[in-house]
Amino acid sequence: MRTALTVVIVLALVVVTAALFLRRREVHAPAAVLVDSLQAGIRAATLYFAAPDGRELIAEARELAEPGTLHARVDLLVRELDLGPRGNGVAALPAGTALRAVYLDERGLLTLDVSRAFQQGFRGGSTAEYLAVASLVRTVSANVPGVERVLITCGGAPLSTLGGHIALDRPLDVTEWY
Amino acid sequence: MKHAHALLGAALLGGTALAAAVSFAARPETVAVEIVAGERYLGVNQLARLLGATKYWRADVRQLTLRAGAHAITLTEDNPFVVVDAATEWLATPVISRAGELHVPVALLERLPSDSTLARLYFDERVDRVVVLPSGGVVGSPRLTVSEAGTRIVFPADRPEDALVVSRSRAHFQVRTSGFFSGGLPDSLPPGGLVRRMIERESVVGSAFEFEVDPLAAGYRLVTDRRMRRITLELDRTAGPGLLAFAPEGAPGPRTLRTIVIDPGHGGADAGVVVGELSEKDLTLALARRLQSEIQRRLRAKVVLTRDDDRALSIEERAEAANRARADLVLSLHFDGFAGPATRGASVLVPPATYAAAEGGARPPIAVVPWRDVGTRHAVQSRALAEAIMAALELHDRGPTHLRELLPHGLLGVNAPGLVLECATLTSRADRERLASGGVAALAVAIADGVVAYQRNE
Repeated sequence: MRTALTVVIVLALVVVTAALFLRRREVHAPAAVLVDSLQAGIRAATLYFAAPDGRELIAEARELAEPGTLHARVDLLVRELDLGPRGNGVAALPAGTALRAVYLDERGLLTLDVSRAFQQGFRGGSTAEYLAVASLVRTVSANVPGVERVLITCGGAPLSTLGGHIALDRPLDVTEWY
Repeated sequence: MKHAHALLGAALLGGTALAAAVSFAARPETVAVEIVAGERYLGVNQLARLLGATKYWRADVRQLTLRAGAHAITLTEDNPFVVVDAATEWLATPVISRAGELHVPVALLERLPSDSTLARLYFDERVDRVVVLPSGGVVGSPRLTVSEAGTRIVFPADRPEDALVVSRSRAHFQVRTSGFFSGGLPDSLPPGGLVRRMIERESVVGSAFEFEVDPLAAGYRLVTDRRMRRITLELDRTAGPGLLAFAPEGAPGPRTLRTIVIDPGHGGADAGVVVGELSEKDLTLALARRLQSEIQRRLRAKVVLTRDDDRALSIEERAEAANRARADLVLSLHFDGFAGPATRGASVLVPPATYAAAEGGARPPIAVVPWRDVGTRHAVQSRALAEAIMAALELHDRGPTHLRELLPHGLLGVNAPGLVLECATLTSRADRERLASGGVAALAVAIADGVVAYQRNE
């Protein structure tokens, strides 16, 4: 009787130990992953639209495929701004605005050349003008590392102002646009 | 196809969770953690967004790699091992899947690389939120000391060298830092000090503080100590070497207003905002004429209009008209328009108090101001004018009013206190009805009230 009990206890111990061992073996450290470079990545971009009362910007996170170049990334951001918000924000960028060229220098100055639709499609007063510029500046600076100032040009030429209220003849410090 | 596959992966990871708009706050972004069986977790979509990382999902092995700059973080579902760059890290609890999205224990945040290429995340246990630290790290609670000489305010800061005075006016003295303000401001200020009020201001990066400085303060000095990691603002009662002057404020008592220039916005081919029959260029001209007679009657000042007919003027011509007239005040009149359904009221653009002129016995460094920015020399008076006009508009039920400190295009090269006033929002039905009920005459009376209050300087 005692022998049978001992056998049962030993068997139970063996089963428990094996179970623990097997369970532990299921959990293993993953090897350093070689990411499939052919597979597109997904990145959450933060887009800035106007608040309904026009007093500030509203951030909207959106999952976007990760482009490989600076131009492709900024182009995608401008396209998404042009598509408009999905939440309760209001589109601030003049309709039809597209990216023509972009250049980021080593001192953090991003030169952003947009299509003429940016100027030609603009309607409104200083609030609309402020929000159009702020939407663009905040969105690119939030999603492109290293941007400290933004110079907006239009159709390949300097742009002194969009609607006569905000001066655009100088690079804009990204910390001042909110 | 591969793109579609990646998008499918994102959907599996719960990408829809990020579609909702979040309210923008000009502070470092924070995200609430989720508590599962007593452990604190952060969703990987939020983690990737905060890190600015790109996600690569491998459905066959239930493995997600986040890549940001040179860094890679690999997570596997139901696995406590996480690969951060080349190192394998073991977490006390495994990565879990909830509602189709991987969730990582917040303990992972401590294992992330800390360099300038990756956002710094900080788990604030007090509020169960993850904070994205700005490049300047953290700024702590200030310590105020008052002595006979003056007042010192000391902030502990990770990167004190980034601190900057952004407004030098006594009424709205502002200091900006690059760090996240993790502390608190004192409920009450010590008596006898040179600081009357102290508040935290909005700032896109880091934090900003505004002080109302006592008129007895003769100068200030901002000292940044990298070794001790602290920012010290010194306000002294007596002007001494090394002290900087506040922005010039003018003498107390009534202000002298001999010549006031009114600049009706737009004109000619540039109609400005047009809503139905209302055209901004016509409204600004009509308002300017009314305001001219109202101010001439009440202040007996000479009032000059930059245009008295429907014609276009360049920004240089407007500035020349104001400077040639030796204006004591420039009012640039506009009417606003924006498609926001709740946008209404008046708004004002004024130059920021970025530069200070020499004052009293202090000998500050010479600040060379481009003529384009000459309006910033008059920033304090411009803001006082803006506040007087905004108060008058609110009293006349012409609000809500809104102020932006930004050198407006219409005041480039204008050597006088001034502002750009968006008198009402034409795209707002309520504002159009108010405008229709009283006409521009009522609006002119409200603005003139503000100008008179500014002149009285009481």
